[in-house]
Amino acid sequence: MSFLVLDPTPEKAPPQGQLAPRLASLEGKTVGFISNGKEGTKGFFSHLERLLREEHGVGQVVSRTKSNYSAPADAAIVAETKGWDAVISGIGD
Amino acid sequence: MPLSSRTYEAHDIGAVQELYHSNGWTDGLPIVPPTGEAVEACLDWAMMPPDQLIGIEPVRGLPVTAEKLAINAVMAGCLPMHFPVVVTAWTAMMQEEFLMHGATASTGGCAVLVVLNGPIRLELGASGGFNALGNSDRATAVIGRAIRLCLINLLDVRPGSIDRSTLGHPGKFSYCVAEDEEDTSWLSLSQQRGLPREASAVTVMAAGAPRQIMNEWTTRPEEILETFAAEMRANLRHYSIHPGNYALVIPKQLRDHLQAAGWSKSDIAAFIHERARIHRREWAEVGKGAVVRDRGDSVYPAMESSDQLLVVAAGGPAGGFGAVIPPWLGNKSHAVTLAIGACVDCEPPK
Repeated sequence: MSFLVLDPTPEKAPPQGQLAPRLASLEGKTVGFISNGKEGTKGFFSHLERLLREEHGVGQVVSRTKSNYSAPADAAIVAETKGWDAVISGIGD
Repeated sequence: MPLSSRTYEAHDIGAVQELYHSNGWTDGLPIVPPTGEAVEACLDWAMMPPDQLIGIEPVRGLPVTAEKLAINAVMAGCLPMHFPVVVTAWTAMMQEEFLMHGATASTGGCAVLVVLNGPIRLELGASGGFNALGNSDRATAVIGRAIRLCLINLLDVRPGSIDRSTLGHPGKFSYCVAEDEEDTSWLSLSQQRGLPREASAVTVMAAGAPRQIMNEWTTRPEEILETFAAEMRANLRHYSIHPGNYALVIPKQLRDHLQAAGWSKSDIAAFIHERARIHRREWAEVGKGAVVRDRGDSVYPAMESSDQLLVVAAGGPAGGFGAVIPPWLGNKSHAVTLAIGACVDCEPPK
């Protein structure tokens, strides 16, 4: 006995996010960090900030932490990213 | 309106199983072949066209249609009469306060607990008696399984993909319980949460595995409930200090003692709210001293208020057992209760 059966998935690929264009240089740029607020992010981001400032000449680092580490970034943080040259989002467990 | 999903031909039942398993479309168990006829029967029962939009997953903006829910419900073993429950549970899960993406993606590994209330339990033969949190009956087994298959196939909540659970728990196969409304004088869970008794309803909660307790050596409500509270304190110490929805499942033997003493669900919730709390310094006793810091004297209740406790009458008639079902992660996700057949975003009539 043969069966005609149906595809249980959406079949269409979900909309994908798009990466911002790569910066030619980090010199003097403003880089934003978005942390999920977990303990493991603290050491990681502080080390990364030092690397960016000392080895890549980043002008300013702005650190923001989500109010709920299991939800998307707060609207205010997303709005703020428009003023940054680059964004690094990280989770820590 | 015809179904729009892609069809596949499989030559026999074994080929159906291999088709679905090899595409990653199952939970590892055999599925019921979702034929057009079976899927249309579900949609007809619920009076839904295939393209009816049940909701949009709020984080990634993915539409969820009745046709795709019905395909997965058939795969799980649902009959048409089970399908409205699956639709309502999914509608509830897509409410913003449930935080479905976080709850289903988290390393914390919770499952979606579904509690059934109202007349539909009897229509479906959903039992809140023996083995209530296990394989108690066909209806709760297949409804709970449908919730998980829909997550896997509609939102890619597969282990290692969206689902990043470290451990998970067996409730991720199926986690559905019907309240035993006939054998209790208490208000049902959905009544406690504001719905009329005659409404059939679904409550969803992002939930950890049940933690079973036992106290057969007293009839005093305070002593019985102290055992439940102690298990909640253990969860606060060993798992998470965040307050949120907890569920207590209270079978008949302990329930009878509480009811005989005149304790309502609200009385139980008020007592539990007072007793289920710990000092932060207790974390040092269980190996978590590093995060006590200077806040050792701070008190952490299991719930922000007594109405966060979901008390469910269910379980077999004998045995002084009960269960505490802890939240995934405190208030990150809130339990949602919806009536079956109710519209959650309809405009009122003008």
